[in-house]
Amino acid sequence: MKVGPVLEVFKNLFKKPMTVMFPKEVVEIPDRNRGEHHLDIDKCSSCGSCARICPNNAIEMVEVPKELAEKYPKTYPQVDLGKCCFCALCEDICPKDAIILTTNVFLATFDINTTIKPPIIAE
Amino acid sequence: MTSTGKKFDESDFSMFFGPAHPGSGNFSVKVDMRGERVLKATADPGYLHRGFEKLMEYREPMQNAVISDRVCVLEPLQWNLVHAEAVDNLMEYDVPERAKYIRVIMAELSRIQSHFIWYAVMSLGTGFMTGFNVSMGYRDYILDVFNLITGGRVYPAGYLCPGGVRKDFPENAEKKILKLLDKVEYMRKFANKENLAWLARFKDIGVITKEDAIKYGATGPVLRGSGVSADVRRDDPYEVYDKLEFDIPVYDEGDAYHRFRVGMEEIEESMKIIKQAVERLPKGEVKTPNLKPIVQFRKAKGETYVRNELSRGEGTFYMVATGEKTPYRVKIRGPSFSHMIPILERLLTGVDYADVPAIYWSLYQCPADVDR
Repeated sequence: MKVGPVLEVFKNLFKKPMTVMFPKEVVEIPDRNRGEHHLDIDKCSSCGSCARICPNNAIEMVEVPKELAEKYPKTYPQVDLGKCCFCALCEDICPKDAIILTTNVFLATFDINTTIKPPIIAE
Repeated sequence: MTSTGKKFDESDFSMFFGPAHPGSGNFSVKVDMRGERVLKATADPGYLHRGFEKLMEYREPMQNAVISDRVCVLEPLQWNLVHAEAVDNLMEYDVPERAKYIRVIMAELSRIQSHFIWYAVMSLGTGFMTGFNVSMGYRDYILDVFNLITGGRVYPAGYLCPGGVRKDFPENAEKKILKLLDKVEYMRKFANKENLAWLARFKDIGVITKEDAIKYGATGPVLRGSGVSADVRRDDPYEVYDKLEFDIPVYDEGDAYHRFRVGMEEIEESMKIIKQAVERLPKGEVKTPNLKPIVQFRKAKGETYVRNELSRGEGTFYMVATGEKTPYRVKIRGPSFSHMIPILERLLTGVDYADVPAIYWSLYQCPADVDR
């Protein structure tokens, strides 16, 4: 009988498993991970570059709710996460670094309306 | 034994292998059978057609870089590279040396993870589920490194972009790649162990001769498994492959088992390439100077034909620019098309049904690449 395979089995008993117990444990997500968008509306200059470069036309320049229209009179990017391919071209092109992709990847949802991310939500 | 000489027999029937068969992956083959014997096989592609060639005519080069990695899900970085080189040629970009080395490292890592998938699907085809789990588990370590460097596990979203790469390596990336190679080495040894079940299932099955392989347009491991030593990395070097040392495994047998062996031995060669490239990685810029996120073919006129050695064979881009924003015409030639349609149909004729999965998986298919 060969000893090699038996030794391998014993070694594996003390090794760390390849998988983690999701959702209690989560694998480490690096800083570069392309996840949900974050818009800093105060930095945004409403140039619309992000909407033009988006390969999937997931970004639309929209007006903010009426209550905030006085403070933010221009149009701002609204992201449809359902269309987005998370390529981060909008982040690359933004001249003011107003739109960035965060590391939040837990975006699964049962409600299709929640996939649209308006530039700002009126409180 | 039923006779194949008669025109009709009561045991004649047709059945589909795929597209819902585990592992056949969005591709189906209609097999006409007489008893257990396959009389005729007809490939039925088209389940995964996304029309990349037309899509790319409506998008600018940087947007195309993002969708180019979806041509083949299993080797996205290599498809990124072919597209980037085609645009580099048309725009006459001078790609920095560091970017070239990064491109080679990423493409070779992608080749290794793709070969791991090959091991996994071959295991799946023979019911060797341990092989499937182990191989996919080790592939995950490579995906972790992709996530660290490109920001995506499977889709790099145009990381190897026209004019260089989108971002430089993060801190300690070189160390992490070298550490990853130790894990790859474990899996390589595991894949190279002699497996009696595999010898019984794959040896002398689906033999394609040297002449036929050339005639039907085979490339990559399928061609090298039939005794032809052809590799674009050596015959027509791109990026920095001419400065790196590596061997090209070739087997003369041309059967399913030896095609697969070529792939497994390529893992070692890819590891050699990565080690050399990481050692020689120069410092400096990773993008052509003044490269903007918007790239347009305004000043580019002409056509280009670029070929690269992907893990499955030769992948090429033909691109025409006429001074508009977008390319005038794009033609993609994937390696899997000739493997999956003419060669598969020919090899399946006259075999037993039990050998169909063995032949199917040994051709190293990617249905996404066949349909494009």
